[in-house]
Amino acid sequence: MADLNLVEAVNLALARALTSDPNVVLLGEDIGANGGVFRATVGLQARFGAERVFDTPLAETAIAGVAVGMAAAGLRPVAEIQFTGFIYPVLDQIVNHASRLRYRTRGRLSCPMVLRSPCGAGIHAPEHHSESPEALFAHIPGLRMVIPSSPVRAYGLLLAAIRDPDPVIFFEPTRLYRLFKQDVADNGEALPLDTCFVLREGTDITLVSWGAMLQETLAAADRLAEEGVSCEVIDVATLKPFDLSTILDSVARTGRCIIVHEAAKSGGFGAEIAAGLAEQGLTSLLAPVQRVAGYDVVVPLARLEYQYMPSVERILSAARQALEFA
Amino acid sequence: MKIFKLPDLGEGLQEAEIVEWHVKQGDEIGIDQLLVSVETAKAIVDIPSPYAGRIERVFGKTGETVHLGAPLVGFEGQEADSGTVVGKVHVGHQVLEEAGAGAGAGISAERAASAIRATPAVRALAHRLGVDLSVVTPSGPDGLVTTQDVQRVAKLFEELGPAEPLRGVRRAMAQNMTLAQREVAAATIIDDADIHAWKAGADITIRLVRALVAGCGAAPELNAWYDSQAAARRLLKKIDVGIAIDTAEGLFVPVLRDAANRDAADLRRGLDRIRADVNARRIPLEDLRGNTITLSNFGMIGARYAAPIILPPTVAILGAGRITEQVVAVAGVPAVHRILPLSLTFDHRTVTGGEAARFLNAVIGDLQLAT
Amino acid sequence: MKTIASFDVQYDQFLDSEGEPQQALPEFARDPATLISLYCAMVLARGFDTKAIALQRTGKLGTFASALGQEAIGVGTATAMRAEDVLLPSYREHAAQFCRGVSMRESLLYWGGDERGSDYAEARQDFPNCVTIAAQVCHAAGVAYAKKLRHEAGVAVCIFGDGGTSKGDFYEGMNLAGVCRLPLVMVVNNNQWAISLPRSLQSAARTLAQKAIAAGIEGFQVDGNDVIAVREAVGRGLDRARAGDGPTLIEALSYRLGDHTTADDATRYRDPETVNRQWQFEPVARLRKYLARIGAWDKEKEEALLRECSECVNQAVEAYLATPPQSGTAMFDHLYAELPAGLQAQREEAFRFAPRDGENHGGS
Repeated sequence: MADLNLVEAVNLALARALTSDPNVVLLGEDIGANGGVFRATVGLQARFGAERVFDTPLAETAIAGVAVGMAAAGLRPVAEIQFTGFIYPVLDQIVNHASRLRYRTRGRLSCPMVLRSPCGAGIHAPEHHSESPEALFAHIPGLRMVIPSSPVRAYGLLLAAIRDPDPVIFFEPTRLYRLFKQDVADNGEALPLDTCFVLREGTDITLVSWGAMLQETLAAADRLAEEGVSCEVIDVATLKPFDLSTILDSVARTGRCIIVHEAAKSGGFGAEIAAGLAEQGLTSLLAPVQRVAGYDVVVPLARLEYQYMPSVERILSAARQALEFA
Repeated sequence: MKIFKLPDLGEGLQEAEIVEWHVKQGDEIGIDQLLVSVETAKAIVDIPSPYAGRIERVFGKTGETVHLGAPLVGFEGQEADSGTVVGKVHVGHQVLEEAGAGAGAGISAERAASAIRATPAVRALAHRLGVDLSVVTPSGPDGLVTTQDVQRVAKLFEELGPAEPLRGVRRAMAQNMTLAQREVAAATIIDDADIHAWKAGADITIRLVRALVAGCGAAPELNAWYDSQAAARRLLKKIDVGIAIDTAEGLFVPVLRDAANRDAADLRRGLDRIRADVNARRIPLEDLRGNTITLSNFGMIGARYAAPIILPPTVAILGAGRITEQVVAVAGVPAVHRILPLSLTFDHRTVTGGEAARFLNAVIGDLQLAT
Repeated sequence: MKTIASFDVQYDQFLDSEGEPQQALPEFARDPATLISLYCAMVLARGFDTKAIALQRTGKLGTFASALGQEAIGVGTATAMRAEDVLLPSYREHAAQFCRGVSMRESLLYWGGDERGSDYAEARQDFPNCVTIAAQVCHAAGVAYAKKLRHEAGVAVCIFGDGGTSKGDFYEGMNLAGVCRLPLVMVVNNNQWAISLPRSLQSAARTLAQKAIAAGIEGFQVDGNDVIAVREAVGRGLDRARAGDGPTLIEALSYRLGDHTTADDATRYRDPETVNRQWQFEPVARLRKYLARIGAWDKEKEEALLRECSECVNQAVEAYLATPPQSGTAMFDHLYAELPAGLQAQREEAFRFAPRDGENHGGS
């Protein structure tokens, strides 16, 4: 047991996976000697060798496509795309191949690969390094889309992703990489995929989020608690396949739901949750479901970055609107 | 150019040698006409033309080998273009006409405004408590009905006891008035008739009916039916006056037929009979429908002026109020005369103010006669 | 300026278009029986091809991509491979697939719009047809990596077209394979056409084989209409791979004698006369001429073979046409290893709306 931050938890999980399964292979840019630009893979090449932890040429399409071939041939590749800003070239290989290899061969071949990538804004990075494209992947049948929000969940969910027989896209929020620590047990235990995590129980309002935004969401819940409002806070964690039932159960109790995500509002994954609530939770609702999200603009550069991202104040405003609605 | 390729000659044969051409470039040929004879490993085969047309090109010379699927003859004209490289794109020939589907055409503001605003949970609560949302005064922002509003009304009704469901005539009145209110563009003009010239014992109701007929004479537009669906009106020759009669059961409007062609005595007899039938609750349905204009002599009960409700498809209703003695100016000097107040409500969708005014003037003119 | 590196591109051919040997034949080609089996495989592939087109024209098959004229590339490549090797084809390589044990019925099911066509009973590791151009090069590199890492015998062999060599996937996969010295053979079926784009407009490179130089790997050209040359070349590539010498790029020159697909009309962009002239180079006649000349083939054998192939193909077609369609809920099968709970409701909905037996199951 040790107090680790999120990127250290990722490193721990990768090491655990490499140890316990000889088929696990890591590939990506600068993951070897450099240990990954965020140090997610630090020390792993030295421990497990350059064949199992190897630096690829600068070629995102190949990283994903080669992982597909590896997975079909019996390996468990964990490919890294250095930033989600560079993830778009892999869409062809992921959507046209990884997501459907099992499907189109009726199970004869399958694709147990993981594609990891650091995502999200808030680290004052240059252009293209602040993306949140999870909605693109959450839309694709046959994929899993997972985003952890804490070191413990990063460890457990990454192990689950690596062990899953189907392709998993695993985003790691850069803002959380070193933001705080948590006691992470290296017990090799996977956390369940396809399910939400209820981080805090409450009765007056349900706050739903994932990734780095859980920070602001929990902070807002704290402020509301001071005002006597009991918030239920839910971490979606697996966006695809999405566990609507946990959120429905919560809203059945609270009647109010605020969804918080960093990605741009329109067509973002919050829309899917809101639609699910409208379809199946309508008679529980006492107020409109609101989404507090990034604006529908290109993620601005560093100087405006924090004005773009949903703030505690914006979440509070939405929550109060919901509480005062009727 | 439409290409005809060497077809499958059967038995897996892949090629053939051209033995003899039977056509040449420029020839006009018909379907099944012999094109060429070829020799396969097995036999000499005659190949007929699959199309009619003019030969544009001939591929291969006598003695040359041509392979299965290779071009043989080109016909003038266009091969049907599939217009794709995969699958099949269906070609339809219907020409689409879209009526008024403009960008941004949304719901009419009218429809939006009349909607009751309440969340589904509140609606479900109202339903459970038996509260009609339309009687609930909303206290939420933007006219939103809140849970508290519903609970308040539910409690109120509980204290008040059950509401009396409307039946029979009262129910009909409620429905008709709702319809009228929704449709009619009602406008009212009021005026007075100075009846100091009347003798004692004048038959007020019958004088009113006669005056109504005079009004229709001056402005026949008020004796009409209006069809709002078709935006069309019918000016009616016969004047069938609906007489509003108030009873314990509710409002009846039986019809005095053809008022223009009956004398006062006949009208009085008709009115008496109608009243008796209404009071005895034996008035036939026929006598309750088809009025072309309505008279409401509410003055018998009280009130001077009113804006009575017009029941479609009629377009006018004349209201007569309580006769009182008023001080009026006669040649510059005050005098006390008996005044009969009049209210004329008309459907402004089809009746103009001018027509209404002329009507009322004629009514007053007739009423102000001594007999 | 001084030259610091120079490269050359080699070309190989054994039989010319008349079936005349241009050099001593490799050992396998000195055995008539082997050559005859290659010949039969090409004839069978062509017979299937013809039949598939006919089926499409009569509405019994969906869009189909003919391999007319390119049979030697598929047969030469696949017959050089061993059972433990893995084939990653494009969508025009049924000649190779049949040699690998894929059944004609499976191929028809695929083109007929049934996913079960890619669930090969044999050749269990081979990849299915790849429609996105050159993606299979990356997959092949991944398969090769797995073989190498796990010390498994087996070489990944991918086939793609001249158009595919313009794609990023091609270069990225080849480059990574070169750096990692992967057991990979890449065969370019250069049939001179990428739908309507002729080879001259596809790349300014004089040969496609020379793109191997950019990745630092072995690359050369062969006459793709000479099945002996193809088989020999791929054999060399496989040997190198097995010896740990890394990947090989083989550009096999041929000609697309048919349309791009059954929905394409090539006369829109190329002169039928040009296509006609290319027939003199085609691979099947070429080998037949050689076999006839060495006394290993004759008219009777030809007729017998054609009859046999015809029967084979017809049997496969019957089996295909008699295959009952998948149930409506089959689209929920194999989406994941296990269908997630959240999708059960959709599966039930699909079941409710699925046509019952006897109703229209949709066109082929």
